Amino acid sequence: MVHVLAQLIVNGLITGAVLALTGVGATLVFGIHRIANFAHGEYLTFAAYVGLVINVGLRQNIVVATVGAVLATATLALAVHLLVLRPLRGRGLVAMSLITVGIGLMLRDLLFLIAGPQISTLGIDELRVYDLGLVRISPGQSVAIVMTLIVAPATGLLLSRTAVGKSMRAVADNRDLAAIAGIDIDRVGAYAWIFAGGLAGIGGVLFAVVQGTFDPNLGFQVLFLIFTTVVLGGIGSAGGAMVGGFVLGLAMEVSTWEGLAGGLAPKYKPVLAFVVLILLLIYRPQGLFGRARIV
Amino acid sequence: MLLEVVDLSKTFGGIAAVSHASFGVAERSITALIGPNGAGKTTMFNLLTGLIRADSGMIRFAGRSIERLRTDLVARAGLVRVFQSPRILTRMTVRENMMLAAKDQPGERFGMAWMAPARVARREAEIRAQAENLLGLLRLSHLAEAFAGTLSGGQRKLLELGRTLMVEPRMILLDEPMAGVAPVLAEQLLEHVKMLRAQRGITVCIIEHDLDLIMSVSDHVVVMDEGTVIASGSPAEVQADGRVIEAYIGRLDAAVVADAS
Amino acid sequence: MAGLDLGFFLFAAITACIFAIMALGLYVQFSLAGLPNFGHVAFMAVASYAMAILVVRLSLPLPLAMLCGLLVAVALALLLGIPCLRLRADYLAIATVAAGEMVRYLAMNLPDLTGGPLGSMAMLGPDQVAFYNLGWQAMLDRVAAGIAHVTGTPVSRDAAAALIVFVVMLLLLVFFARLEHSPWGRVLKAIREDDVAAASVGKHVVAYKMQALILGAIIGGLSGMLLALQIGVFSPDDYAPTLTFYAYLILILGGMNRIWAIPLGAILFSLLYTGTRFLSFFPLSLFDSGSRAFLRLFLIGLMLVLFMALRPQGVLGDRRQLLLEK
Repeated sequence: MVHVLAQLIVNGLITGAVLALTGVGATLVFGIHRIANFAHGEYLTFAAYVGLVINVGLRQNIVVATVGAVLATATLALAVHLLVLRPLRGRGLVAMSLITVGIGLMLRDLLFLIAGPQISTLGIDELRVYDLGLVRISPGQSVAIVMTLIVAPATGLLLSRTAVGKSMRAVADNRDLAAIAGIDIDRVGAYAWIFAGGLAGIGGVLFAVVQGTFDPNLGFQVLFLIFTTVVLGGIGSAGGAMVGGFVLGLAMEVSTWEGLAGGLAPKYKPVLAFVVLILLLIYRPQGLFGRARIV
Repeated sequence: MLLEVVDLSKTFGGIAAVSHASFGVAERSITALIGPNGAGKTTMFNLLTGLIRADSGMIRFAGRSIERLRTDLVARAGLVRVFQSPRILTRMTVRENMMLAAKDQPGERFGMAWMAPARVARREAEIRAQAENLLGLLRLSHLAEAFAGTLSGGQRKLLELGRTLMVEPRMILLDEPMAGVAPVLAEQLLEHVKMLRAQRGITVCIIEHDLDLIMSVSDHVVVMDEGTVIASGSPAEVQADGRVIEAYIGRLDAAVVADAS
Repeated sequence: MAGLDLGFFLFAAITACIFAIMALGLYVQFSLAGLPNFGHVAFMAVASYAMAILVVRLSLPLPLAMLCGLLVAVALALLLGIPCLRLRADYLAIATVAAGEMVRYLAMNLPDLTGGPLGSMAMLGPDQVAFYNLGWQAMLDRVAAGIAHVTGTPVSRDAAAALIVFVVMLLLLVFFARLEHSPWGRVLKAIREDDVAAASVGKHVVAYKMQALILGAIIGGLSGMLLALQIGVFSPDDYAPTLTFYAYLILILGGMNRIWAIPLGAILFSLLYTGTRFLSFFPLSLFDSGSRAFLRLFLIGLMLVLFMALRPQGVLGDRRQLLLEK
């Protein structure tokens, strides 16, 4: 029993870490640009495939592949922002949402056309499973742990110590106040997309690595998890997304534990995320850490 | 008293916007609601019309408790509000804006256009005539077919007033009707306000900052400051009331001091 | 040109009419009442599944099963609407798409009820192939025979189907076109732009929005059932969120605020949709049939972006009356 629970907790923390990292980027762009980016999942898919090309195609190790994915996805995010989203700002929430849906469709199906629908794996040494007695950690999970341990503090430092990070958080928190304080909203908005794109780059690779296999539907599967993480932490709150990701990851995994009145059947984990998302939007849209805004 | 507000309170996140406010508005009167900025006047209107719900207290309109009523039910009970920034429907024509507001439209029920077309058409014709009549009074007839979005600020105010009249209200709440309006139009609006009471027996409660205007046109004045009612009476009484002067001068003093430093 | 025969045209026509009905359901919710429902597919899914389950498991006659399908769609509308109608536009979009995905997910994971990932064929378990549209096909045959009797020329099942769905679409369009221009439509138009103003003149905003949601659910459910009946088989993947965005694209192509633009949008969409499936001229010939599906979706995404960016009022819409800046 405890054995299983410990494994579930570890799994939850790892999934949570990936959600947290991706969520930090997503929540900042959602908060700064006031847009629900339905294509965000596709940025992760894109990252996974760039990673695949570098890792398997060009035979580089996973770290190089991740760096490549980060650069590529950050560029993609910035390009979409400059070419499509910024010129069309002001069209209204629904119009922008429909546009991001369109972009997502284009990205996903372009990947289907180029890469095909078959599943792929990133090249990780499948033999090295770490048996820590109480829990077992798969190679994918260990890669994820190491990367998170490096990236998460770096992200935290970037957001809390650098001017760029602080200004992004300020604009996400209160746009008007930040403008009055002299922050160049436009420029910060662009930085936010680069930042979010970069984190999506890491997130995409990590998701592929933790899941083991993936196909172009990867992003679409995680889109709702990202939305839930963002709303849970409060849209615009980086710290909130960080915590929210872990909370969601843990909740999803631990909910299947038999000790909780039999536990949720594992196939219903995503349903849990959907229900949490809908309930949050209805009853507490500011999430755990956001301020209640008068819409 | 057509409208009675008893001990009404509303707090927003720690700030008491309205605090134990009480006053009454007599039927067929023109009552002014005045007070310095931030006194809680617009919040009071929002509370009266059900846009926000009070934390405690009572509102009675025509003998009925309305403090828990939905906005549309308050309007249908006869208490209608005109907004500070006109909330007209820019994508509809002026005439459509007017016709929208009429009471008792069988055609507004789903399917009625198919099930009782003659009755719906008849009522539409009546409403159209009523709208035309009011547009004439407001001197907006020439704009009947124009999209409301093309109207100037002053015209929008007139349109909103006209729309309100279509509802056949017993009492109208006017939120700073003269704000940002050219003097000529302000004159017109004033005439309409006086006519409302004289010809249609409509009670008017008006938030305004122009004290001369208020004093000349109101029967009764209610003064709010910091969320509560500090004085109420005839214009002359209120003007001489020490607390009122205090509230306004107090603001004035602070402003003078701030300017000087 | 390879592929352009009567069969293709009939298929395109049937698809266009059914998609037009689907788009009309969304029109009532989005264009009339201003509700950005991104989960419209859910109404199609629950109605089709309810109908199929009732026919296959309880042997209900098809007309009764279809009626029950509509009722289930209404129930879903109420379930969604009561908590969600007062949500801000983008939150409503996210909540509805989440709800739609939940429906699909449940359909995928309750195989005893829904046949699971294999879909309607597996509803009676792995040993028996389940069909629910035999009644539909029988009716089509009768209609085809009747027409052939009257006109003297033989008529195929597909032709009969095309006629039926065309008539249904037309009736629905006429019905709602009149309502749109009635006082009921006027209230919705006001609510769409400013619901506080509408409430201030005595209109019960939530009631009207709920009516629009329910009507949209009924129409959407009907379109889902017609599609399921015509194709004969479906699975949870047929009810992916993309279907909702087909409906949006149809509205956008034709003109989001003109009800009679819907058939035009549906024809344009249907040409794109069926054309990529059946036509074989260059450059389509570069893609094999498996890739065609992806190409189709790519083009749909592209169209969504292009039209929303460059011509949001569509082909026939009126830019002045467009209400998107919220």
